[in-house]
Amino acid sequence: MIEPHAFLAPDFQSREPKELTLLSIVSQSFFQPFSVEDNLLVILTALTSGSGVGFNRAMLFLTEGDRLRGEMWLGPRSAEEARTIWEILSTPGIGYIEIIEHNRSLLSLEADSLSRRIRPLEFSLAGDNLTVPVTALAKNEILLVRDASREPLIDPRFLQAIDVEEFLCVPLLSQNEVLGEIVLDNAFSRQPIQPKDIKLAGLCGLLAANYISTATLHRKMVEMERLAALGEMSMFIAHQIRNPLAAIGGFTDQLLAAPADESKRRRNLEIIRREIQRLENIIFELTHFLKVDPKTPAPFDPGPAIRAVLMAVELKAASEGRELVSRIEDRLPPILGDPTYFGEALRNLIVNAFEASPPGGRVEVMAERKDAAWVVVSVRDEGRGIPPEVRSKLFTPFVSTKDRGMGLGLLYAKRVMDACGGTIELESEAGRGSTFRLFFRAGEEGRTDP
Amino acid sequence: MNKILIVEDEEALCLLYQEELTDEGYEVTTVRDAEGALDLLRRGHFDLIVTDIRMPGRDGVELITQIVGLRKDIPIVINTAYQSYKDDFMTWAADAYVVKSSSLTELKVRIKDLMTR
Repeated sequence: MIEPHAFLAPDFQSREPKELTLLSIVSQSFFQPFSVEDNLLVILTALTSGSGVGFNRAMLFLTEGDRLRGEMWLGPRSAEEARTIWEILSTPGIGYIEIIEHNRSLLSLEADSLSRRIRPLEFSLAGDNLTVPVTALAKNEILLVRDASREPLIDPRFLQAIDVEEFLCVPLLSQNEVLGEIVLDNAFSRQPIQPKDIKLAGLCGLLAANYISTATLHRKMVEMERLAALGEMSMFIAHQIRNPLAAIGGFTDQLLAAPADESKRRRNLEIIRREIQRLENIIFELTHFLKVDPKTPAPFDPGPAIRAVLMAVELKAASEGRELVSRIEDRLPPILGDPTYFGEALRNLIVNAFEASPPGGRVEVMAERKDAAWVVVSVRDEGRGIPPEVRSKLFTPFVSTKDRGMGLGLLYAKRVMDACGGTIELESEAGRGSTFRLFFRAGEEGRTDP
Repeated sequence: MNKILIVEDEEALCLLYQEELTDEGYEVTTVRDAEGALDLLRRGHFDLIVTDIRMPGRDGVELITQIVGLRKDIPIVINTAYQSYKDDFMTWAADAYVVKSSSLTELKVRIKDLMTR
């Protein structure tokens, strides 16, 4: 017998031990598409929900450098509001998702929220005379504070903000890294904090620290990937720009340094003009090919769209001494896509094929129905072929087999195909040319894999 | 007259270097790829080589390795649009590293230093 079981404890009213319910709810929320703030809210909710740990209010502080800053404070603002909330939240059938929704709306009442009151609070983590709330972090201990107004080791600004005599400080630490602190109290029920509450609060603290640590690492990793991509891009662009700039600078200096005869003056100016045009092309390619924003794919007739592209490149083929051959099947079904982007992607592939082909070489453009669900448009050249080590990187930006290529044309074609639910494939053999195939979904009929 | 071999795939830059370095008093030969450079080096004598790195076919790093194998004593100047090759130990065999810019001053100074060394 095979029995399915849900991962998730559905609510805080579970008959399971509270530790297990809390662990299940908090852990599961980390796998939801929640923001970091929402997940921290789940933890504070688990600590304050009447059927969770049951504290009245929960403060969250996070560290930033050597400072501990107030971030979030969850709970009612008055005894009256506390009663209303308890009534709502004790309604049978209310699950933790509803409680979190309610708490999110509480936090969004920015004008008079508790969070607004603690955000200006900031404490130094450095120094010898540390006070509560920082002491819990320095000692790496959960601290229960009673008779707070008589205790000299409490920061007066903190005491003024929390305004209760009894509270619990739970440090958030991960592998000796200080991440933050949660402070809990029963400001409205005035219930003394019990050892079992401290135990559950400690469990939530461990979960919160683990989550913050993982989320921070993930954010750093994403940032590093972004920076690496940015570094690669800037290096490539710098290279593309430096060559024309070296020519422009050098030939301009020649004109400035000594009087030149008319033919040399004209030659230098023509070179400078050509290199400026090259810089303009670089800017065009960067701004044009990196921006693909097609409309929702809609059916269109591929025949006229392909013929329009062929007409536009025929002259180029003739001027560059390439033979352009096309075979477009009659009665092709409509294909799904954006005709403007389709035309641009196909034009890129054909121009690439011209550049890859030897003088007098032939470029073939074909369009045919593959089966009921797919139409294939292919472009074949008679070039050297694309080496296997380049093939795997071909659709990434700034990878080009051309001497002056930006490596954006194929990336553009791939993004266009992704946007219309199609695919692009390459077949290439050393010395025998390459064929790029664009697979388009036919009309709005069902699809099969190409 | 000292003889310089320029290896550079950009046509305009070949022309510029040819004219400017000739004006400086050198005998300049330009070639557009590494294969051509190796061929010239096997057949003739040069006092210094200026080479780009990113070129079609065999690149400048490979060329430097081959030159060192052929002629250990010949000074090599890398002249490239890439700053980053400086960290590639394969380029350390070169005697100078110049990043291309709109001014030829640094390239000329480096060549002069190596020629008078």
